[in-house]
Amino acid sequence: MKDARTVEPDVELIASLMAAGGADLKKCMQCSNCTCVCSLSTPEDDFPRRQILHAQWGLKDRLLTDVSPWLCHYCGDCTEHCPRQANPGEAMMALRRYLTGQYDWTGLSLLMYRSEAWAIGVLLAVSLVVVLLFTVPANFGFGLLSQAGPAARATVMLDKFAPKEIVHIGDTLLASLLGVLLLTNAARMFRIATRDTHIPLGVYLRHLPGFVVQGVTQKRWRECDAGDSFKNWLRHLILVTGYATIFLLVVVFLPWFQVQDHSFHWNSLLGYYASAALLGASAWMIGDRMAQSGEMHRFSQPSDWMFPGLLFVTALTGVLLNVCRLLDQAMPTYVLYVVHLAVAVPMLVVEVPFGKWAHLLYRPLAIYIAAVKKSALQTQ
Amino acid sequence: MSANSPNPVLIIGGGIAGLTAAVELADTGVEVVLVEKSASLGGRVARLHQYFPKLCPPTCGLEMHYRRVRENAGITVLTLAEVTGVTGSAGDYEVEVRVRPRFVSEACTLCGDCERVCPAERPDEFNYGLGTTKAAYLPHGVAYPAAYAIDRAACPEGCKACEEACKYQAIRLNAQTEVRTVKASAIVAATGWKPYDAAKLEHLGFGQCRNVVTNVMLERMAAADGPTAGRILRPSDGKEPRTVAFVQCAGSRDENHLPYCSAVCCTASLKHAAYIRALYPETAITIFYIDVRTPGRLEEFGAKVQHDADVRMVKGKVARVEENPATGDLLVTAEDVLANRKSTEHFELVVLATGIVPETEGLPAALKPDECGFAGKNGSPGIYAAGCVCRPAEVSATVQDATGTALKALQCANRSVSHVR
Repeated sequence: MKDARTVEPDVELIASLMAAGGADLKKCMQCSNCTCVCSLSTPEDDFPRRQILHAQWGLKDRLLTDVSPWLCHYCGDCTEHCPRQANPGEAMMALRRYLTGQYDWTGLSLLMYRSEAWAIGVLLAVSLVVVLLFTVPANFGFGLLSQAGPAARATVMLDKFAPKEIVHIGDTLLASLLGVLLLTNAARMFRIATRDTHIPLGVYLRHLPGFVVQGVTQKRWRECDAGDSFKNWLRHLILVTGYATIFLLVVVFLPWFQVQDHSFHWNSLLGYYASAALLGASAWMIGDRMAQSGEMHRFSQPSDWMFPGLLFVTALTGVLLNVCRLLDQAMPTYVLYVVHLAVAVPMLVVEVPFGKWAHLLYRPLAIYIAAVKKSALQTQ
Repeated sequence: MSANSPNPVLIIGGGIAGLTAAVELADTGVEVVLVEKSASLGGRVARLHQYFPKLCPPTCGLEMHYRRVRENAGITVLTLAEVTGVTGSAGDYEVEVRVRPRFVSEACTLCGDCERVCPAERPDEFNYGLGTTKAAYLPHGVAYPAAYAIDRAACPEGCKACEEACKYQAIRLNAQTEVRTVKASAIVAATGWKPYDAAKLEHLGFGQCRNVVTNVMLERMAAADGPTAGRILRPSDGKEPRTVAFVQCAGSRDENHLPYCSAVCCTASLKHAAYIRALYPETAITIFYIDVRTPGRLEEFGAKVQHDADVRMVKGKVARVEENPATGDLLVTAEDVLANRKSTEHFELVVLATGIVPETEGLPAALKPDECGFAGKNGSPGIYAAGCVCRPAEVSATVQDATGTALKALQCANRSVSHVR
């Protein structure tokens, strides 16, 4: 018995996963129909049958080191063909929600997944800070509404109301803070997921280009043979490009993006593209979720609504703000500017490092980890 | 109805359950009318090659029943007959029975001249569509009644070849359907079962891949009087397969198909593995299962077959079967759950272990089906169900169930003439 090992099941695990959306996973009888109908599940990285077993047995350690939930794009084929209506697709979604909470070292993610009150509370708190920054008549160094002066009330003078040098600094600080939080969480994910495998440096380097390509294109998704996977992939790609464009415009190119005059700017085109992409894709996603179209949209947790919902409002207020600016409506422009930021900033603060948007890094990273692990095992 | 003898007991279905109920009831002295939809008694059991677990042929059991039917004047057998209406109450039912013509009288000597001259073919339903018969056909080798029948739906317009060829004037092609009213004291519905339609299992390739067959088809192939004379042959090229995969729970235990366990398919597949291993010692068998369910005394039989090193048991439901069009071989995708290994393997023949669907056609309305489609045991006082229409079961359990149901029917029949209630 020298190889004997004591397994300590985590008896709380099943309850956490059921609360995160995996309510039906106890119905699973381990027939593995799900793993076999899935075109993305491979012999090396098989799912969802094994993960459901680990969840049923409370094997938390195994689930933490397993990145497979991120390899699933939730086409729902497994759920459609499940003989027990154990809903394996939603079990994988529940695992992603659970893992997002586990990777986060601050604990905030877990709190927000567990409690809607916490999620809404944090959003409102950040929102309030943004609104106060623009409305409290004190000298925080910002171009506050009261300081904009009478001239700025008659005609749109965004640079008086919100000087772009200051906003740019704010953007950069926010991006850095969120970047650090997301990266440290991702580093935790990386450390946990690779702790049981020795991976030589060369293997890491060899797969790095694939990581970048994957992050930009999500090309692995194209290997899913489900009926509407192309539609879902394309919509996601449109959203990602829109998001990346607006991110670059706001964080890097703000001095050129936030303009006062009516003349044509090269970056306006990019702005229009991003607005259309974000509005269109998020509205489409919300529509599908409301219609419960396809397995992917049949079950929605608050975190699933928050993601496209806040994005839609952000894009909408951004577009309206620009319309008001072009019509030279000073007060509506300023109000919309504040509303726009009061939605966008909390959305980013909550979603990027702690919420559903974290998958923008977790998913390509998981694919990378799976690839290096497989490669390392083969070289051994 | 005289003071001392009840109306006959009417039995719907001449398979093993209905036959058993008929002979057991008749043995007590009560009259029996046995109504069978097809041209011969025997039902699904007549199509078996061997029973499990003893691997003996079903003909001996059926022959004994047939002999008892023949020798007991109290049993009236109506073949090609269906119950179309039931009125009245316990002890005094009036049952409308529609009897289709056989077109062949009792003068038939089984000489086979009609079959020889018959120009038309029909799908061989007895052999689950493996091959065809002539429109003038003998239902099967041990048919009861032992007489030819003519499937007029398959006859060419105006053809009288068989009628002219019959030396015994046994054929009357102008015979008409007859509707009879039968008095009955009690009714036993033993309408039996049918295999689940494998074409509904879209990922398992039946109907698309030539070498995917069902368990009932394999049973016919194994039978000496079957379409391949007892040899297991691939439909695509008639080759004896060297590798055979069995796909268990093909439809059963699946809420998208049959939510229940069909109870017999595990033992049936193990039995099929035993057939094939005995016939072809070179052929390797793989059985993909969710759980091996061989309850009660079948456990020992199951263990014996699984002990064979060339019978490989893989825990994992098959999710996909595809054909290699060049060879006709099949690609079977499943995960070996115990080894945690998902793989796609090649096989020369795939057998789908399709489950039991209750046959509710002809079932009296009083026997309301449950949520799975199986009939309730007791519908109203005097109408009872027996056999696989009530639950999926193997032959011996069905025989016991039918015997028990016969007692219920007998009690009802006796109550109708007795003053003691």
